[in-house]
Amino acid sequence: MKISSKKLGDYTILSLSGILNASSAPQLKSYLEETDFSGSLIIDLELVDFLDSSGLGILVGIARRKKAANEILKLANLNDRVKKVFEITQAYTLFDIYDEVNAAAE
Amino acid sequence: MKHAISITLNADIVYTRIASQVAGAAAEVYANEVGITGNIAEFCHAFELSVSESFTNSVRHANHQADGDVTINFFTDAKGLTAVVSDTNPEFNPVTPPPDVTLYPEGGYGLFIIHKLMDAISYSRKNDRNILTMTKSAHPPAI
Repeated sequence: MKISSKKLGDYTILSLSGILNASSAPQLKSYLEETDFSGSLIIDLELVDFLDSSGLGILVGIARRKKAANEILKLANLNDRVKKVFEITQAYTLFDIYDEVNAAAE
Repeated sequence: MKHAISITLNADIVYTRIASQVAGAAAEVYANEVGITGNIAEFCHAFELSVSESFTNSVRHANHQADGDVTINFFTDAKGLTAVVSDTNPEFNPVTPPPDVTLYPEGGYGLFIIHKLMDAISYSRKNDRNILTMTKSAHPPAI
């Protein structure tokens, strides 16, 4: 999978693309450990083709840490396949979810 | 028409995408050929994701067996499209409680997702192998 980040106003935008499954999840975990994502964060999932529970677990871990730090975390651009995983696990209840990055950053 | 496909992969997480893509392709062929109730894309995604979760569980519990393998058999019958995932891991309980998301768990979703997406699931133990059988019906009964 591809991972990139940039700043947009007060937010850091973390953009993910490709497959986020058990095979690629460690790559994202390492990236998160090596990069400073303190402060307000938006995770853009527009280009994530496939998400399984391993990928979801990483995102839930980010949500837990952000909540503990009392920091803002938002998700944006969930396609139907990604949205399905959040719905059946009820994990959507842990996140602020937006249709677009710009809407999340307002 | 009946179909049967069998793949055997090393119990290595790098093969997760191969397992799920074969499942997705099998579901697409099946759905288009048989005709299903509901959305074909959702049917294929449900099957692909369930096989991905099952394969991942097989690898995660492989206890680092160097020669461990995971075999996935796909077949069709009147019940629908079935994936049979077997591995050489220790016996496990396929019935798991739903994860309590309020506790922000980072794991424990896999079997729960399979139960939510597939129409029939059974588990057995044969010849020292775990056998998880999952069926997605072409025409599930209305709830």
